[in-house]
Amino acid sequence: MKKTSTRRDFVRKSASALAGSVIIPYIVPSSSLGLGGQTPPADRIVMGVIGTGSQGMSDMRDFMRLKDQVRFVALCDVDAKRLASAKDVVDKTNRSKDCRTYGDYREFMEKEKLDAVLIALPDHWHGIIYSEAARKKWDVYGEKPICRTINDGKVIVKAVKDNGVIWQTGSWQRSQANFHKGAELVINGRIGKVKYIEVGLPDGGRGIGTPPVQDVPEELDWEMWLGPALKVPYRGVCHWNWRWILDYSGGQLTDWAGHHIDIANWGTGLEYTGPVEIEGKGVYPVDGIYNAPVEYDILCKYANGIEMRVANSSRLPKGMGTCWYGDLGWLHVDRGNRISASDPNILKEEIGDNETHLYKSDNHYQNFVDSVRSRKQAIAPIEPAYRAISVALLGEISMTTGQKIKWDPDKEEIIDNPTASRLLSRPYRKPWTLPTV
Amino acid sequence: MKKIKYFILTAAALALIAVGCRKSTQYAALIVTGQNTIDWQTSSTLLKQILEESGLFKAEIVNSPDAGGDMTGFRPKFSKYDVVVLNYSGDQWSENTKQDFAGYVKNGGGVVVYHAASSAFPGWKEYEEICGLTGWGDRSEKTGPYVYFNRAGRMVVDSTPGPAGWYGKTRDFEVRMRNPGHPVTKGLPVRWMHPDDLLFARLRGPAGNIDVLATAFCDTTGGGTGREEPVMMAVTYGKGRVFHTTLGFPSGDENIALKCAGFITTLQRGAEWAASGKVTQEVPPDFPSAAAISVRSNLKIRTLDENIEGLGEYDIGKSTRFYTGIQEEIRRAAGDKTKLLEIEKKLTELLNNPSATVEAKKLVLRELSWIGTDYSLPAIKKLQAVPELKDEADFAIERLGAN
Repeated sequence: MKKTSTRRDFVRKSASALAGSVIIPYIVPSSSLGLGGQTPPADRIVMGVIGTGSQGMSDMRDFMRLKDQVRFVALCDVDAKRLASAKDVVDKTNRSKDCRTYGDYREFMEKEKLDAVLIALPDHWHGIIYSEAARKKWDVYGEKPICRTINDGKVIVKAVKDNGVIWQTGSWQRSQANFHKGAELVINGRIGKVKYIEVGLPDGGRGIGTPPVQDVPEELDWEMWLGPALKVPYRGVCHWNWRWILDYSGGQLTDWAGHHIDIANWGTGLEYTGPVEIEGKGVYPVDGIYNAPVEYDILCKYANGIEMRVANSSRLPKGMGTCWYGDLGWLHVDRGNRISASDPNILKEEIGDNETHLYKSDNHYQNFVDSVRSRKQAIAPIEPAYRAISVALLGEISMTTGQKIKWDPDKEEIIDNPTASRLLSRPYRKPWTLPTV
Repeated sequence: MKKIKYFILTAAALALIAVGCRKSTQYAALIVTGQNTIDWQTSSTLLKQILEESGLFKAEIVNSPDAGGDMTGFRPKFSKYDVVVLNYSGDQWSENTKQDFAGYVKNGGGVVVYHAASSAFPGWKEYEEICGLTGWGDRSEKTGPYVYFNRAGRMVVDSTPGPAGWYGKTRDFEVRMRNPGHPVTKGLPVRWMHPDDLLFARLRGPAGNIDVLATAFCDTTGGGTGREEPVMMAVTYGKGRVFHTTLGFPSGDENIALKCAGFITTLQRGAEWAASGKVTQEVPPDFPSAAAISVRSNLKIRTLDENIEGLGEYDIGKSTRFYTGIQEEIRRAAGDKTKLLEIEKKLTELLNNPSATVEAKKLVLRELSWIGTDYSLPAIKKLQAVPELKDEADFAIERLGAN
């Protein structure tokens, strides 16, 4: 592939070379020549957004809070109404009317020259769009879970690695002090040797039965929204509530795996491996189009002997969050700055110079921007995100088959179960195909 | 659907034989009724059917004299039974009968306190201890404390003075297991929707040896408590075990609350536990969850063939319960090749059946995409030529690695 020089190359090179001492020809995306501000326009990260729904907008606003370090120039969504209101927000911030909009990501990718892209889509679209963005050599802030299937995940991880792009997963808990502190205390042995971890994720909620088929709203490109998923009639269920439908997501389990399982792995050095045995049991709705499990209880064993239980929080003594159990005590972290331990003194412990210091960030979005500039890995890279969601996806396979699953975390294969192995992927509806990279 | 129906008849006959062989009736149950504030005839008939449907009980119903009648002669032989189900709230029994009953429980007899029986026998101390929590009949702080759970999930024993017993209007509500480790609740979903029932609130102690198994949230509408109110309790009294459920109000023609798979299952399990101290019954495939209610119109669990027949008629807009029933059967097969092949054969028959709907076949192809073998492959391949089924057939073929 012919490599064209991009602004990002400039950012990259100016970070390593002495700024201003070398002149490098580069193409300036015209829109990056913004008005005023303290960051020189050429140093701004030029970003686009694919997926301007609630999560995409929330992420975008967080990036906008970094003031003029970032400039959004292009947006893409299959919902024209959402797209228009996102453009309003961007134009207001940019004090211009130049933000470009697209209904088809292929056109967006073909026409735009960006440094980075924020992608917040339903999980069934991640396989294609994350890998294509990496292939474009765009740095990616991508929402978790990073994949709907293990097979999608493998392709995404490879695309990100092969193309050397900076990747930040939307696992923002890593940039929160309590999670960082908890994971760092645990990895430095403050509760002894970790034997067992409990991860509490939300219970599933109420279903909606089988709503009648209705006309697709004018603003929505339903065919494109479905994309590689099997065609189903529109029933008024689309934004947000796709999470409860297995074609697009695994429910609360897979939604939250990228948070609390990720933290569990972070504190135990399991970020770059996976379990060797997974056994799960789920409770599925007996009726209705929401078919993701509303309860789940999964026990995983790792090669080093650690066991991890992942369950809906109502089943666990400590409810939501991550709780590590070591031979000297336990430590629990959860949202809302919660951190507690079997002995409160554990929480007062300092980590010495010669001990393990976990990557520190206090702003997940700033960390991404810094990484784009420095070319240094961000705090939530692609593989840990893949390993975290793998636990949930393997749990889902165990629940679906009713069997204990044996997993080879190095080869990334299910051992001795060809039937269950089929569930490692979901074939794409034509004409869509998962890119091979 | 002729072929399917024939098949079902055969299978139904086989299933009957299978049920007959499965378990012998082990426990004798006595349903005590005759006076109540609810429709005691209908509810007693349903309770008898529910108990016997488990295959574990032979149940009899005994009616007390009518209200105001002479109770002296009413003296059931409790000790002949393994479990006594109280569907009674009316005139006080005679002292002898009361003593018989308390003695029966003390000596290890099993009891199920059902719904309005929570309000029976005001002033009879032993009965209140047997129930754990009771209400109405001028009961107050003298009976004991209120017992409920707060929203954080902690049990509260509250001695505030006040009346005992309250209910609002019938409605659907979520039941929340509070002791998922008890034999009655073990393995069941910890949260499940229960339809069209009266939620009892403000029940008061003595609450001596009670283990609150489940609660439901009583919202503040119409004077509700805003508390998680106990709906299922396990009580020990002497050597006896008591399962107390406040659920199951018989209402309308449908009596949906009694036909809830959650009510049926917990009653069957509660009665077995009361009779024997253990629960041998499996979790049924149609137990409700937080997502949806689950009603058994004929009190029976659907068979695989009934699910297959129902699925064959599936169309957009219809309930997916037959499909989810088959998915549950697949999960329960737990990789057993013989069972999976049996399901695969029936699903393949649906694919080949011209009267099965297109929408049904789409769902079948989704399942066969991973449980399929050479058995179903020709039928799947054939559907690749049917335009409205091509996507799903391609999906299955690709996943099976057969393209």
